[in-house]
Amino acid sequence: MNEEIDDSEFYHQDFTTASEWEIFIARMEEIINQWKTDEQNSEAPIQQCGIWEIQTEKITFADFEFNLLFYRKKNDFADTSESSEENEKQTKSPIDTLYDFELYNENDYAEHCCLSSWYGLDEYYILTPTGNVGITTESKIKTLLSSAYVVSSSLNCERPIFIQIREKWQRCYLGVYEGDGIRTNFEMVHLRKGPSHCYYLNGLLDMFKSKIMSPSSLDCVTVSVQLKYNLSDFGSFQWKQDHLDHENLDVDILPFGVTVDPVSCLVFKASWNHLADNLVMDSEGHSDFDPMTAPKWSCLVKMTSEPVCLLGDSLLEFLNNLTGNSTVYDMLGDYAALPSVESNPLDLLTEPAVPTITSLLSKAARRSSKSNRGNPPIAESILVSLLYYLFPDADENSGFPYGGKEDKENSEKTNEKGIFKNLEDEFKGFKTCSKDSLTWRLSIVLTHALQSLGGVKALAHIWYEFVQEMRYRWEKSMPIPGLAPGFPDLRTCLLNQKLQMLNCCIERKLSRENSQTQFDSAENSDDEEFFDCWSEKTEEESKRKHSLWNQPVGRLSRFGDMKLLKTGDPLYIPITQEPVLKTEDQLEEDTDVLLKLGSNAEATELRARIMSASLLSDMESFKAANPGSIVEDFIRWYSPRDWVEEEELDEWGQKKGHLSPRMLIEDNNIWVQMWESAKPVPAARQKRLFDDTREAEKVLQFLDFRTIGQICQLTIPVLAHCAIYRLAEEAHLVSAELADAAVKIQSLLRHGERISRDVKFQPRRFEAFVQEVNSLQYKFNPSGAQNETISRMVAYMVTGKEVEIEDKDNSEVGGRIVSMFTEVQKIANLVSNENSESARSATKSVFPAPAEKEFVLRVNAVKPASYSAKCPQFLKAVVNRQEFRLAGAFSDDIAFF
Amino acid sequence: MAGADPKWQKDAADQNFDYMFKLLIIGNSSVGKTSFLFRYADDSFTSAFVSTVGIDFKVKTVFRHDKRVKLQIWDTAGQERYRTITTAYYRGAMGFILMYDITNEESFNSVQDWVTQIKTYSWDNAQVILVGNKCDMEDDRVVSYERGKMLAEQLGVEFFETSAKENINVKAVFERLVDIICDKMSDSLDTDPTLMSGGAKGQRLTDAPQGPQATNCNC
Repeated sequence: MNEEIDDSEFYHQDFTTASEWEIFIARMEEIINQWKTDEQNSEAPIQQCGIWEIQTEKITFADFEFNLLFYRKKNDFADTSESSEENEKQTKSPIDTLYDFELYNENDYAEHCCLSSWYGLDEYYILTPTGNVGITTESKIKTLLSSAYVVSSSLNCERPIFIQIREKWQRCYLGVYEGDGIRTNFEMVHLRKGPSHCYYLNGLLDMFKSKIMSPSSLDCVTVSVQLKYNLSDFGSFQWKQDHLDHENLDVDILPFGVTVDPVSCLVFKASWNHLADNLVMDSEGHSDFDPMTAPKWSCLVKMTSEPVCLLGDSLLEFLNNLTGNSTVYDMLGDYAALPSVESNPLDLLTEPAVPTITSLLSKAARRSSKSNRGNPPIAESILVSLLYYLFPDADENSGFPYGGKEDKENSEKTNEKGIFKNLEDEFKGFKTCSKDSLTWRLSIVLTHALQSLGGVKALAHIWYEFVQEMRYRWEKSMPIPGLAPGFPDLRTCLLNQKLQMLNCCIERKLSRENSQTQFDSAENSDDEEFFDCWSEKTEEESKRKHSLWNQPVGRLSRFGDMKLLKTGDPLYIPITQEPVLKTEDQLEEDTDVLLKLGSNAEATELRARIMSASLLSDMESFKAANPGSIVEDFIRWYSPRDWVEEEELDEWGQKKGHLSPRMLIEDNNIWVQMWESAKPVPAARQKRLFDDTREAEKVLQFLDFRTIGQICQLTIPVLAHCAIYRLAEEAHLVSAELADAAVKIQSLLRHGERISRDVKFQPRRFEAFVQEVNSLQYKFNPSGAQNETISRMVAYMVTGKEVEIEDKDNSEVGGRIVSMFTEVQKIANLVSNENSESARSATKSVFPAPAEKEFVLRVNAVKPASYSAKCPQFLKAVVNRQEFRLAGAFSDDIAFF
Repeated sequence: MAGADPKWQKDAADQNFDYMFKLLIIGNSSVGKTSFLFRYADDSFTSAFVSTVGIDFKVKTVFRHDKRVKLQIWDTAGQERYRTITTAYYRGAMGFILMYDITNEESFNSVQDWVTQIKTYSWDNAQVILVGNKCDMEDDRVVSYERGKMLAEQLGVEFFETSAKENINVKAVFERLVDIICDKMSDSLDTDPTLMSGGAKGQRLTDAPQGPQATNCNC
């Protein structure tokens, strides 16, 4: 038994099962094939990143996870140029392109796109470990590379496959490409510091040639060089915001701008393309590459990341205070007293009956000093100037009258070629207020307070003074300036509605007081005189007709030539009560009440009763104005469609008629019921439907007891509006043609519109953007003269794109760059005057030592055997102070070797 | 006061809908707005309703694409004197049914006027349908179908002739209006997610720039 060997157990290894490596390779092939078919059907789920289209799949090798990525350039410019120039060439290796240095575009940056800039590739696959894990062990690298070899040869996939090795930050890749009988190996060297001779072309050339190891002699190597210079010290061209000092506070505009130069670095590049290697000399001792002689110049700018933006920050400040729960009085403490304590009724008596308009501000100031137990957050002088801005009617020579600015702007607008044809139109959907109204100005003043005058306390102070002023104006019946006349406009923000409401109350109070005095004087004088107001003959008649207690009162005008049905007296339209005004929050409460009643018949009736107050009032006024009238008369005026005329004439010579069936309904007819209960009372003596005193007090209470958070909430919509307006203005002032500005402002607008309904806002990015443009304009065009070429270039650069400088130093931009570099060099020379060596090198050129050098070497070599075909060989060297990188691609003939 | 009554509580609990649209019926006095609404909401017709005082409403829930859409339909008084009261309710309405009476020239002539009112007081993307009511009264007709149709085209709105009495096109008008609003909503959903949340309860309906509101009013 023991000798028996169980075969099945002994040879347990199952050779039919694929190894993990095989599974891995199979999976890779599967994915790549899938992508290929997707491509043909053009229905791939593609992630767009600038000009790159990227596809990603997860793939595992044993328990190690990788991403397989497919990078492809969207619009293949290279492809078209290649096909036109290189069609004759039999080999079409992906590295065999003629573009060595691409113009950089920040927007096109994607994680692995560096491969494209090194090798000039348009399409490639990358295998990279997920997470921040590097492939560092040699055996792993070999395994992965072998997988790539296998996939590449079995698929004939026409695109290079790369694997990312070493630590990720090193951006080190190996790769392979196979096609047309040629295999190209992509290799890379990445070092902190390279051998010193390799920093120059000659050294690199030697290394390149020896690496190729061609059995026969090499052709001439094509060389391209690019030198890069950074300019981050702009010297006297350091750009600064003009109005940044708080000493001279511009009260009427929102703060705008960045506090540091938004352009952090100007990168200047000088390039030489496709030179023969034996024609140029570049070594430690001597270099033919003087940027001034370079055939091609280009430059790009780097922006300061996250600069401090004043406008954005001030808005952010409001957002941060949204949760502030304390009231203005909590914030101000002793300084402000509650209104009930503050308003001494005796003050009213001692005050002159007709207050002079200037007494108002001095009163505000006096009030501050009177109760000056704590230090006011805002100094009086500043406070007064702010209040004068809000209430310019207090100063006859005010620099900021309401509506004054508007006219000027309208005349300017005609020859304005702004970003938007009519900026005002863009704000139509904003639930804010009209431009440069009191609400608008208040929000600006609050911003100043919060931003630069002392923070939340200052904000509370301004609000307190503002409310005091509102109360004062109500008490003194002085109209509030800078508000659109008329009813609270529900299209504006709540704060604006409240102020409009207060203004309406003041207006009604005024007219009430006026009519009161009129009425009084009328009553004192002869009765005859009083009724002379409506001097008509019929008046006399009707007066005689009606008994003393039934005199017609409150007539507005005759209603056509209609006569009362019963008496034949003319039908008069009565003076009615002014309509009831509501702000949206009150309206909402009303709606809620109506809704809560439900939707059945009783509820409908109840609603009708609630709504019938104004009907009753109108009926009473009508009765008062038309003694002896009946409900039919009322209906003829009030709802003419419910009066059906007949052909016959009545005794007064007007057409007979009858009420419509619906007015004749007996059951629960509210119209008839109301008419019956209505007493003849003129509007002036009725209970007021709209109690302006109560409503005004409500508004004042509302304003008074806002918390800091609520104040911010009320202000932010308006502020968003102001801010976008300010941005648009600034963007307009910038002379460059900002391609994206309109789009960006559009998106802000859409955003802002939503904010005006729901609070949240971030215009910061755009602010920085405008400032970047300003800074660049200043650097390239310090004189500020109109220059379209520069403007166009700036507009291009500011979006993160590199631009080529035509005519080099003969062009204006080129000249500016040279002079800026020269200036910096001069300073550098002064500093290092002792160091003769650097001084010597500096005098030689206006440019400092290049910050980065790039070399591209290309040659077609016979490899590996002397009878092999010519295969493209490539080496790119990127050397700078931080790293030394060689990216090589060396091809072998795999058909004849 | 509402919370105490059990009837209201029932209404308040009736929160199971996906969207809520606020609609308004406007037009001259006695063109048949109230009858039209009663026909739709209660499927009943009474030849005469007491002339509406101020504003009233009815509620109806409909299904559209498996979504429950609750319609809060406000019926308004047509008399001139009520303009200030009724226009206050325009804001937040997502759709308007602008009605005239085909037997009454004046009500047709006022249509332009009403459109101006809508433009002034409602928000921009409110949808409007023009409706010529009382089309059963062919003998008394003074406004031809073509004139109505032409005016609707001029105004860029859809047009129906209806009869609340004979129940012609009443349902169609509301269904069409709901469809237009839904289409508009899905159009602007990408750019304006607030509409979505607003559909259920809130911001866009009320337009108030405030935070959470009383959550349990029974609308």
